Amino acid sequence: MIRLRAVRKDYRSPAGAFHALDDVDLEVGRGEFVAVVGRSGSGKSTLLNLLAGIDRPSAGEIVVNDAPLAGLTERALSAWRSRSVGIVFQFLQLLPTLTAAENVMLPMDFGGRWPARERERRATALLERLDVRDQAAKLPGALSGGQQQRVAVARALANEPAVVLADEPTGNLDSHNARSLLELLAQLAREGQTVVMVTHDAAAEQYATRTVRIDDGRIVA
Amino acid sequence: MRDALAHKGRTALAVATLVVGLVAAGALLDTWALVRRATVETYLGSHPVSATLKVEGLDAGMVDAVRGLPEVAAVRARRVAIASVDAGGGELTAQLFALADFGQRGIGEVEGVGGAWPPADGEVAIEKSSLAFSQAGVGDTLAVRAGTGPRRPLRVSGVAHDVGLAPGWMDHVVYGFVTPKTMALLGLPEAFGELQLVARDANASRDEVRAIAAKARGAIEQRGGRVSEVDVPVPGRHVHAAQMDSMLLTQGAFAAMTLLVCALLVVNMMAAILASQAREIAVMKSLGARWGQVAAMYLAFAAALGLAASALSLPVAVGIGRWYAALRGEMLNFPTAPFAIPAWTLAIQVAVGALLPVAATAALVARACRMPVAAVLRDPGIVAGDDFFVRRSAALGFLPRPLGLALGNALRKRRRMLLTIAALAAGGTVYLAAHNLRAAVLDSVDAMFAWQRYDFVARMAEAQPATALEERAASVPGVERAEAWVALRAQAAPEGSAPGYGFALLGVPPGSAVLKPAMVSGRWLDRSDARVIVVSRELARDLPGDEVELVVSGLRSTWKVAGVIDVPGQPLAYAPRASLAALRGDDRAGLVAVGLAQRAPAGELAAILQVREALEGAGMRVASTTSLREGRHAIEDHLVMVVDFLGAMAWAMIAVGGLGMASTMGLAVLERTREIGVMRALGASHLAILGLVEAEGCVIALLGWAVSLPLSLPVSGALAYAFGQVMFPVPARYLPEAAGAASWLALVLAVALVACAWPALRATRVTAARALAYA
Repeated sequence: MIRLRAVRKDYRSPAGAFHALDDVDLEVGRGEFVAVVGRSGSGKSTLLNLLAGIDRPSAGEIVVNDAPLAGLTERALSAWRSRSVGIVFQFLQLLPTLTAAENVMLPMDFGGRWPARERERRATALLERLDVRDQAAKLPGALSGGQQQRVAVARALANEPAVVLADEPTGNLDSHNARSLLELLAQLAREGQTVVMVTHDAAAEQYATRTVRIDDGRIVA
Repeated sequence: MRDALAHKGRTALAVATLVVGLVAAGALLDTWALVRRATVETYLGSHPVSATLKVEGLDAGMVDAVRGLPEVAAVRARRVAIASVDAGGGELTAQLFALADFGQRGIGEVEGVGGAWPPADGEVAIEKSSLAFSQAGVGDTLAVRAGTGPRRPLRVSGVAHDVGLAPGWMDHVVYGFVTPKTMALLGLPEAFGELQLVARDANASRDEVRAIAAKARGAIEQRGGRVSEVDVPVPGRHVHAAQMDSMLLTQGAFAAMTLLVCALLVVNMMAAILASQAREIAVMKSLGARWGQVAAMYLAFAAALGLAASALSLPVAVGIGRWYAALRGEMLNFPTAPFAIPAWTLAIQVAVGALLPVAATAALVARACRMPVAAVLRDPGIVAGDDFFVRRSAALGFLPRPLGLALGNALRKRRRMLLTIAALAAGGTVYLAAHNLRAAVLDSVDAMFAWQRYDFVARMAEAQPATALEERAASVPGVERAEAWVALRAQAAPEGSAPGYGFALLGVPPGSAVLKPAMVSGRWLDRSDARVIVVSRELARDLPGDEVELVVSGLRSTWKVAGVIDVPGQPLAYAPRASLAALRGDDRAGLVAVGLAQRAPAGELAAILQVREALEGAGMRVASTTSLREGRHAIEDHLVMVVDFLGAMAWAMIAVGGLGMASTMGLAVLERTREIGVMRALGASHLAILGLVEAEGCVIALLGWAVSLPLSLPVSGALAYAFGQVMFPVPARYLPEAAGAASWLALVLAVALVACAWPALRATRVTAARALAYA
């Protein structure tokens, strides 16, 4: 499902080159729930950005859901992302002027996979599944942190992606909501979706089927 | 300052916005100052005539007597004659002036500006403003005919300049200067018929000059002369000055408005800068800076922007000011090129440029710099919020999502959005008002000419029996109707007083087939009427009541005012031809109005020539012919020009609105970088992002359009009122002119698309990785 070969990512700055990732090899199979852990600045988020195709590697090969990302243009990457990847961001990142349901429908608008008349029904179903259907008409500002995170997960699932990428999804949640969310991601993996989660939370590792540890841009375990 | 350099686009937009406002206001200030200087040094320097008296039997003794009055500085005698000149296969109206001494100083000085000056006998010098219109040049020969005299070839000896005359090209008249002997060659009396004087007191009021003119009249009449008319123009005012002043005043008001809108847009930009640097300000204060010190930095930055804008705008404003002043000078018939723009106007422009942004942003800067440090450092940055307006926009679920998102985004920074809408709406309001006024003016001109159902008027060299004149003109194939009119001058003369100021009195058949006026009040002439007049609105203002004493052909009689009609220009009255014939014991007419069966421009000239030939074949010599169409052009030239200048101001304001929108959208994209990044991460294409920004711009543009529609109505009304006061009454329109509203809609959307193009492109370049890191 996911394959990285000799992936390197450098950032250049006036202070010199910074190696965010160095010679990373990784394979993740369908239905795996992988927790990527490491210290702050170790390269976890960079790895997730590369998997999402929102950043490009300095060297190496990345294949996600059978698509070699290096060969895709920005336009093709956008289209690929809307089909293949769902992202749960670290911060709220819900668009504040759209309701919860509209936030969920937005990726469907971009992807065009679902006919316009079905999008609302599907968004409602996803919110129902995540137990926030009654919040569908509210703006994100009117939702609690836990509710917002559920809406964000619903949005990530909007286009039925093969891969779900989650960046510190429990970072802003209380322990109850965090557990609930991790359960949900584990459930997705059990249903066949591949989940890659970056986390600081040691407890979160318990829900993953595999843990990948990164240190100074290298996978160490 | 580093922030200004780091955000070059934003800084450039702020400077460009200020530049447009300063150019608009500066150019008008320069124009005003330059025209004022030219007026003082050229027009007033020519010693314009204070009063003109029409005198029968004027002789040198009368001239000397007036010259001897202590209140009189200079006197001259002249003859003025209406003539016609052949040009371009047609015939143009000409006005000839004969002076005893063309070199006389101190009174209405006329200068030679090309060729020979003054003209010799048998020659004519053309006034420079009508040279192109006359289609003649120095050395050419013009065929001129006046009164009953023969058509005479006169050599154009040179070009003269009389700053006291309205431009000939505007009035569609060829002005020419000839000697008294040349007048005689044309069959006109060689003697002078007018006495002109200049009051000794250069600051004398119009009433004081009237008193001097009355004294002069007494002196003339004591010596046996008969004064038939006295004309006292407003002292020191050029004949087109009111028109020009009203135009400049209106434009000045709109320029000030443009400047105000510019200032508001600078406030917009400064608010964004302060918001983005709130933490830096807090850190500086926590390091010991006083709020005043921090505020001074930002105000110095605002002043620097203003100075940069002044430096850029000043040469442009001076260039436009000189050009516009030259145009105004051309309309006033005097040059502005030899004069420099006064230094004080340049100083004012620099000062306003530097101080305007400082004054506009001072309160904002003070508030931002006085914010408690702790409150700022606690600021969590961009938050979702639960805003009433955003909630309302979210409730509009029937809108397509990108449009709903754009609407919600537009509502998030409402003050900024309102300022942008205000800027666009201000431009749109003036645009629509100018459109409305233009349509109203053209409609009024249409209405004014619609009741004149003839195509041309032939002026006879000498009066002819009215019935014979009508029959002869009507006998020409293609002529549908012909009416003989009597053209006289009349003066209102209350019982026991001397005759006042003259106006044209036309004697027409009461059941006229060629005049069907719409009445402002009262009624048109009736077949049973006797001693009844219908007057123009302008004349009605001067008349004492419904019963007036008039002096017509030296005879005093009482007339009843039956109605008032709208006729632009000079004061005018219509009376039954038969009443005038009975009064004067003479049924001869000097004019014949001819209506053609086919009212098309193509056949008009041929028809004029045929009628002319028919009349002259019957021994009725035609002095000149005036096409109604030509008259209409002359009026439109005057009226539409004023409206078009207003339109030019609207364009400047729309440009400011466009710059404001570019600035607003640039800031919006900058502030929403993270959101854009999220959308990219969710799979939004370039086109989707581009469309989102453009849609937001279009939402603001549509709001600006919607706001401008109702605003344009009172502004249109005010403009129509101002226009009516100075130029010509036009009805105020209480609905926006449809074509204007549609073209403004297209224009404002185009402005929005162009203004948002760069911010939208920048938005498409936002990568998800960078945007999320930015967060």
